[in-house]
Amino acid sequence: MSEQTSLWWIDWRLSRLPLVRETIGRFLFFCLLGFALLSLLLSGGASRFLADRYAITAVLRADVPSAEAEGLARKVAALPPVRSAAYRDPEAAWKEFLRAYPGLDPLRGAGRNPMPGYIEIRIRPDRLTRADVDLVASALRSVPLVEQVLAGEEWLPRLLRADRLAFWAGWGIFSAFLAGFFLVGRLQERGRAVALAGDFAFLVERGVPTGRMVFFRAASAAVSGFLLAAAGTATGGGALFLFLRKFPFLEGGIGPPSDLLLPRTLAVAVLFSCGVALLSAAASLLGWRAARSGRK
Amino acid sequence: MTQGTRRILSAFLAAAVSFCILFPAAAPAARDIAAELRQERGRLLEMKEREEKTAQELTEALRKENRSKGRVGELQALLTRQRSLLSRIDRKVSALNERLERAEKDVRELEAAHGQARTDLQRAEVVAFAGQRAGAEDPWQLSARERERHFMRVYLAADAEGVARITRARERKEEELSGLERQVAVTERTMAREKKVGESLLSRQEEERRRLADIAREKKRKEKELKSLRAKIARMESVVSRVERQVKERERRARKAAGRGSASREPAEAPRRFASLSGGLSAPLAGKVVTRFGRQHDTTFDVTIENRGVEIEAPSGASVKSVGQGEVAFAGAVSGFGNVLIVQHGGGLFSVYGRLETFLVKQGEAVKRGTVVGRLPGSPSGKSVLYLELRAGGTAIDPTSAIPLDS
Repeated sequence: MSEQTSLWWIDWRLSRLPLVRETIGRFLFFCLLGFALLSLLLSGGASRFLADRYAITAVLRADVPSAEAEGLARKVAALPPVRSAAYRDPEAAWKEFLRAYPGLDPLRGAGRNPMPGYIEIRIRPDRLTRADVDLVASALRSVPLVEQVLAGEEWLPRLLRADRLAFWAGWGIFSAFLAGFFLVGRLQERGRAVALAGDFAFLVERGVPTGRMVFFRAASAAVSGFLLAAAGTATGGGALFLFLRKFPFLEGGIGPPSDLLLPRTLAVAVLFSCGVALLSAAASLLGWRAARSGRK
Repeated sequence: MTQGTRRILSAFLAAAVSFCILFPAAAPAARDIAAELRQERGRLLEMKEREEKTAQELTEALRKENRSKGRVGELQALLTRQRSLLSRIDRKVSALNERLERAEKDVRELEAAHGQARTDLQRAEVVAFAGQRAGAEDPWQLSARERERHFMRVYLAADAEGVARITRARERKEEELSGLERQVAVTERTMAREKKVGESLLSRQEEERRRLADIAREKKRKEKELKSLRAKIARMESVVSRVERQVKERERRARKAAGRGSASREPAEAPRRFASLSGGLSAPLAGKVVTRFGRQHDTTFDVTIENRGVEIEAPSGASVKSVGQGEVAFAGAVSGFGNVLIVQHGGGLFSVYGRLETFLVKQGEAVKRGTVVGRLPGSPSGKSVLYLELRAGGTAIDPTSAIPLDS
């Protein structure tokens, strides 16, 4: 046979309808998985949520002028682990205190405000670690203007542990879904190999090498997997974008929609698609082998 | 002895001399007059004794009055000082009381503020507890809760500091109050003590005033008595003068009968009459005239009195000589003058020597000029006084005008 038959998309030509169903299913699955991936990526598990609720408070001395306090806040904001540092004057501190304890307002009608000013320091979600917190706290403690640093020494370890647990749980679930995809994909590939066994035998009898056929099937599975994963992640990212725009309060837990367009995010999405392509190819190979050996 | 007494005594002596002269030569018709004179002399002597005693009592009363007045003055000065001191203490007590009231008011205010602060603190603690319980419902706002707890600690510390500050202020005020109360108590005790001293002074002053009043009454009574006595003596002198005039009249009649009558001589000529005595006149002793003749001012009674003679100061025990020739008409004791000797020089001239200790001649004995008739008494001071009186025709004359005496 002078003209070699193209083995690309052979499954598509031999079994079009089941493959369409599979493809739609995988696309929807990757939409969800892409959504989850990007959410996990942006939120860092529970880091963003926890970082949004954790703050280091540098309580200033009573006689610190506002200008000096604001200058100190600017210097603190320049530290690498710090996301923001805002100075609150004694009046703001008093109001915040009265919001927390409204019953005290009439008790100190004539007395002076005893509250000191303070600087509230927020840590970057990706730097919410014990080391970074200690770095910032020790830097603040060395400043003479600061009377006391409230860094949650009592409960911070628990908070960090919860963060780690949430991180591993999120990525574990994500990985489980990915593994599920692999297993399901393998079963589907095997099933199709069994179903198309007659056709593949006919081609072998006609001189088509089995290895070449397996290779092209795996290659086409990888390409389609990559494309489906990329499309699904893009769709999931789009949905996440719209979701975050629709419900801005979720930004505190997940992150701003603009972060979806960061190169880091895109690179992860591409990486994810590549990973899915590899898994798809592996599922194709393993499914073929299982079909040939008669195993399930 | 007072000058008034001496004046009265002089009059009496004159009358007595007249009587002594006239009595031996008097007719039986004059016996009544002599008896009357003796009787009057006795009464006069008695009155003079009484006058002398009254005068002494009056002098003593005056001394007492002066002493009492002095004491009253001293007490008055003490009382004034005491009142001034009391006034100062009173002002101090008032000032202390004002400070005390202010301090008490401050303490009351601080106690009220302390109570309010403690109540506020307790309510704040309740609110803090309630706030923490409410905050516990949101486990994710850990940092905010931590900050709020810190602020609550700051708030409670400020409140506790406020309470402690008020407590300290109250304790200081209470301490100050206690000090003021002690000071007031001490000052009041001092005032009470000083008041007691003042009352004692007042009581002493009142007592002294009563004593002074008693003395004044006594003085007044004595003065009245003295005045009465003097009036009596004056009346007595008048009687004696009348007797003298009667004696003179008899002498004049006797001289007329003897053809040796001559006109009565004027008192102004008395010194010349003395000078014309046979043998002349000489001083009775060497000494200094310490009391002059005539009207003199008595500082004790603050009155002007009439001296009928002079007093000559001489050494104790000095001999007293007769100033001229004559006869001793009288030698005896006279109240107020001690031993008195009267020498009759004739022609109505007499010399009287009082305050003698002893007589060296007897009544009726003739003496010449310079005859020692007696001696002055001794005294611890070494000085004694001789009373010398010259009388011419019943009238006392200044001895210094007839006899050269050292003045």
